[in-house]
Amino acid sequence: MPKTLTSVLLLAFSVLLAACNASNVKFSIVSGSENTVLEPIVQEFCSKQGASCTFAYEGSLDIGLGLQKPGGVDQDAVWPASSVWVDLFDSGRKVRNLTSIAQMPVILGVRKSKAAELGWVGRQVFMKDILAAVKDGKLKFLMTSATQSNSGASAYLAMLSSALGGREVIEPGDLDKPDVREAVGTLLQGVERSSGSSGWLADLYVDSVRQGTVYDAMWNYEATLKETNDKLRQMGKEPLYAVYPADGVAVGDSPLGFIDHGRGADVEKFFTDMLAYLQSDAVRKRIADTGRRLPLGGPAIQATAEPDWNFDPGRLVTSIRMPEPAVIRKALDLYQQALRKPSLTALCFDFSGSMEDQGEKQLQAAAQFLFTPEKASEVLVQWTPSDHIFVLPFDSAVRDNFEASGDPAGQSRLLAAVAEQHAGGGTDMYACAEQALQKITATTDLSKYLPAIVIMTDGRTEGSADMFLNQWRNAPVRVPVFGITFGDADKSQLDSLAKATSARVFDGSGDLAGAFRAARGYN
Amino acid sequence: MAISRRAFGLGLLGAAAAGTGGYLTLKDRPEFRGYLGNRAHLFGFIGGEKQAFLADPDVVRALGGYGLELDARVAGSVEMVREAALLSQKPQFLWPSSSIMVDLARKSGAAIRNDQVVLNSPIVVYTWGPVVEGLKKSGLVSVAAKGGYNQLDLKALLDAVLAGKTWSALGVDELYGRARIVSTDPNRSNSGFMFAGLVLSLMSGDVATQELLAQHGDQAKAIFRSMGLKSSSSGKLFDQYIAGGLGAEPMAVGYENQLVEWALADPARWQRVQAGTGAKPEILYPRPTVYSAHPLIVIDPAVDQLLEALTSPQLQELAWSKHGFRGPLGTVAAGSDTIAGVRPAEIEAVLPMPSADVMLALLAQMEG
Repeated sequence: MPKTLTSVLLLAFSVLLAACNASNVKFSIVSGSENTVLEPIVQEFCSKQGASCTFAYEGSLDIGLGLQKPGGVDQDAVWPASSVWVDLFDSGRKVRNLTSIAQMPVILGVRKSKAAELGWVGRQVFMKDILAAVKDGKLKFLMTSATQSNSGASAYLAMLSSALGGREVIEPGDLDKPDVREAVGTLLQGVERSSGSSGWLADLYVDSVRQGTVYDAMWNYEATLKETNDKLRQMGKEPLYAVYPADGVAVGDSPLGFIDHGRGADVEKFFTDMLAYLQSDAVRKRIADTGRRLPLGGPAIQATAEPDWNFDPGRLVTSIRMPEPAVIRKALDLYQQALRKPSLTALCFDFSGSMEDQGEKQLQAAAQFLFTPEKASEVLVQWTPSDHIFVLPFDSAVRDNFEASGDPAGQSRLLAAVAEQHAGGGTDMYACAEQALQKITATTDLSKYLPAIVIMTDGRTEGSADMFLNQWRNAPVRVPVFGITFGDADKSQLDSLAKATSARVFDGSGDLAGAFRAARGYN
Repeated sequence: MAISRRAFGLGLLGAAAAGTGGYLTLKDRPEFRGYLGNRAHLFGFIGGEKQAFLADPDVVRALGGYGLELDARVAGSVEMVREAALLSQKPQFLWPSSSIMVDLARKSGAAIRNDQVVLNSPIVVYTWGPVVEGLKKSGLVSVAAKGGYNQLDLKALLDAVLAGKTWSALGVDELYGRARIVSTDPNRSNSGFMFAGLVLSLMSGDVATQELLAQHGDQAKAIFRSMGLKSSSSGKLFDQYIAGGLGAEPMAVGYENQLVEWALADPARWQRVQAGTGAKPEILYPRPTVYSAHPLIVIDPAVDQLLEALTSPQLQELAWSKHGFRGPLGTVAAGSDTIAGVRPAEIEAVLPMPSADVMLALLAQMEG
């Protein structure tokens, strides 16, 4: 073929390509909540390309479980906090071109005055120092659920590693050692609030400061702590001092990967272009400015260190070696079944007349999921004998109350009690919340538990929140009130109740069991 | 028993020339075939270390010229020839990273039409400046008399890992905790697989046999157990090394071409890294090491054309000059100045791999 003809063809081809540039690709990403701050940067790229991009935020375990399903996740790309979750769950190799966007060590942010009081400012802190502070009752912290969220899993695995005394890696037998269990169990007694999402936990810290409740500390990503401190600084509040445990931390590598749903070459090209955009110098700089560490490419790009809270993205952190997948899975089971702080949960089930038919069926199915250990343990939200559960079916008043520990017999008693309930009557969720709170505060050894109230309702309620909130403010512990909604529920009343008690509402209209599971991640 | 790289290369050159010569007479200018008719869409699995090569627009264009378009999915070399979940997807080709994989694919029942080594690359250890400096002090790293590259006394390092020595005991004060080296999962990926063979031979004091495996298999197993979670592909591990840096990945096993390719992909970035103050990536050549050959396994007749394309001078040149693969055609690098001093022309002390049977027995032992 003559050279000129080739050139003409190539020219024609490139003109065609240029015409395609204004794509109208629809592209969806399922991501960890820590990337919320990066979404605008991605959206800029999408709008420049004429594409419409959507983000769905899910915990790492949800993303992993999605990959494990035969059909995989619905989205075109996954962006979990760590590639560990892809390694663990993507056995069918659905994820392609998985590329680390940033490195995010999970560290402990301690309120600066607290850090000073503990003598941690300006010196190396080891996990054993943190353990001692928890043991002496001098330190409590916020940490996401290790079974639902990567930052919690990271902190937990770092605790396990440290308890092994500097061995290279956690091996299966290590998890049965009594001293390891005791050390980690004690560390986890320091958990004051948990959640299924790192981003939500950071918001909880800031909102609580705004409302006058100040927590001691929070395990989270280095970059999320920077975000938090930027907000605290604006509010004129003291920052969280960055503690990088010297015996090793886990580092999330924030990988972005493509899932091919066979939607055509332009969708995959859109993805690779997006990757190139995220790796371009200008965008790397913007990502680095959020406090994220970037893959090797020159030290010029790095957020400025902020010595006032010990933040230094250039500091060398030794990371722990991630154990084998089977060991991680066993460690997560151990967390859920034995080591985590036990739950003290009061469940308010709406059996009012508006729940008749569909609502009642869904509620019974949800109870089946919740109180059947085999089902709940599949997604790592099973109860344990140390947990304590109250079940309060209600309509315009609380009909009855049942309680049990989380052992299998207790769970099946609760399940049987729920099965006998049928819809009818008016609705007053506040009346149920009041009784639930009384049940919780009357529990002995309250400080051993993570308390929570969960209200499942279609939302249309009588009564007023005032009396309950009055009671709530005078209670000896802060009990978050979570909501799970059914059908076409009006969320506004639940929302304001959740907001007032530093909790959140989960939408159960599509997948009630899924909403329950998510809620359990916060308790 | 070491073979020199030259002899190795010449042998491969002969084989490749015989392979391509026949095809070239069949069709006039096959590299333009793609402009004339429909493109053949080929689906198969490749080792992660070849992902960037196949994604290179120059390579895509050159393959397009041959009328080829690839849907190449990354999978570990070992799993792609053994896992039913992957083989049942009916790949038209497999492109693992070791000749042994051809035998293993055959044992798994893959209907192999043809196979040929297309590229090769030695197994190396990736690390960082401060580690090299420290290991020089403790004598584990020395500079090769010929070629001036950094050689690692791998046996001594493995002994230190087994003894639970700390980094500071090995002269590396920057790092906390015990010394460690990580490879990919030998049951899934080739670089880990080859490293397992090398480790076993080093522990045995000779190229491993079934008897030596019985004596020294436990030591090899202990080395791999100390690694914890192992990546399923070489490309992934290398990315983790680059992304994680000194703190996360102090020492990672990979192919020589990987850092070369990374440097060539963005020379400005490489210059920045070299000029910067941070820890710099470094290659250590284990003494002895093993060579990884990359055979293309043809299952579907349509892939014959791919074999023809990949062994063509045009693609061989791209493989070397842009991606650092030592090809069977022994092409001399253009643009190697960018990474002067990184790759030696010749590597001394190359060990053959143990036989496929010994390797399978070793894998079984490590899985158990």
